[in-house]
Amino acid sequence: MSSEQMLEIMALVDGELATGRQADVQRLLAADTEAAALHRELGAMRQVIRAHEPIGQVADTREFYWSQIQRRIEQEARAAAHAANPKPGLSSWLRWLVPVVGVAAVAVVVTLQQTASPTITEAAAVVDSSQAEASSLTYRSDADGVTVHWIN
Amino acid sequence: MPMSLKNDYPSATDEQLVGWSREGDTEAFEQLVFRHRDKIFARALMMMRNEEEALDLSQEAWVKSWQRLHQFQGESSFATWMTRIVINLCLDRIRRQKKMRAESIEQMEEDLGGVERHMPIEHANPTEGLENDELRKRIDEAMGKLTEAHRTVLALHEFQGLEYKEIAKRVGISIGTVMSRLFYARRRMASLLQGLKRERKE
Repeated sequence: MSSEQMLEIMALVDGELATGRQADVQRLLAADTEAAALHRELGAMRQVIRAHEPIGQVADTREFYWSQIQRRIEQEARAAAHAANPKPGLSSWLRWLVPVVGVAAVAVVVTLQQTASPTITEAAAVVDSSQAEASSLTYRSDADGVTVHWIN
Repeated sequence: MPMSLKNDYPSATDEQLVGWSREGDTEAFEQLVFRHRDKIFARALMMMRNEEEALDLSQEAWVKSWQRLHQFQGESSFATWMTRIVINLCLDRIRRQKKMRAESIEQMEEDLGGVERHMPIEHANPTEGLENDELRKRIDEAMGKLTEAHRTVLALHEFQGLEYKEIAKRVGISIGTVMSRLFYARRRMASLLQGLKRERKE
């Protein structure tokens, strides 16, 4: 018997042999005792295995087994809900934080510039004053809060 | 549905329990789990040959079925639908573990040319005179001695009732390989059962 013939005998046992090949295989079974014995062996194995599927039994109690399944169902439901509606996390904070920090930085720079400008002006005034001391006159009125400089 | 009948889960049919489960009734679903858990676990154990993995996969199958209850159309029985889910999970797990690759010289030989051709045909019925429970036990033992690739094809064909074409699709192999593996698995089972019978006699 060739490998192909052996597989055809099995396909016949399983009812999966093409109709066009069935007559040839039946002739082989009638003429070859080994082929017929193989056909019987394969058929018997198919029948006995199908009728005696090994039985498994969950060792856990009904309550414990179910509690594990229930926990997994709830976990997956929570995960699915979280994926659908993400809670504010670090990423959403960053989304707001970046522009806020940017605006704040600009505000600080502007403030610093505004604060720095009078200082420079004052310094310049002092310098001007020191340079012009010989040819200038200053009048201050504390009561009026006014200071007047005459520069010649 | 009257409440009195709805609460009578043990006497409800699978179809009724599925219907209530779809509405979010976890008690009805728990009844389905209780009713079919051993069968689903047995199928996973048959495929994986590892109790821990089988338990994990059987529970995962129940979680998946809860999530997909709306897909159950009732074309097959609920038990058949459930076994399909657990088998698919087992096949995915096996694929991930890359267990389907040639795992022994024996399997490599079979893939290359077929040691099954040289195995003697068992003329005597190796299961003759055995009680059902004893036979079931021996079949389980013999299946444990098959390589995973052979056992998978045999289980899908004999217990899941899948045709060659469907097995080829599920496992990702050619129909020729399915036939070759199934042929080898059956012949090996006959030989193993005969061997077990001899061992017991001695």
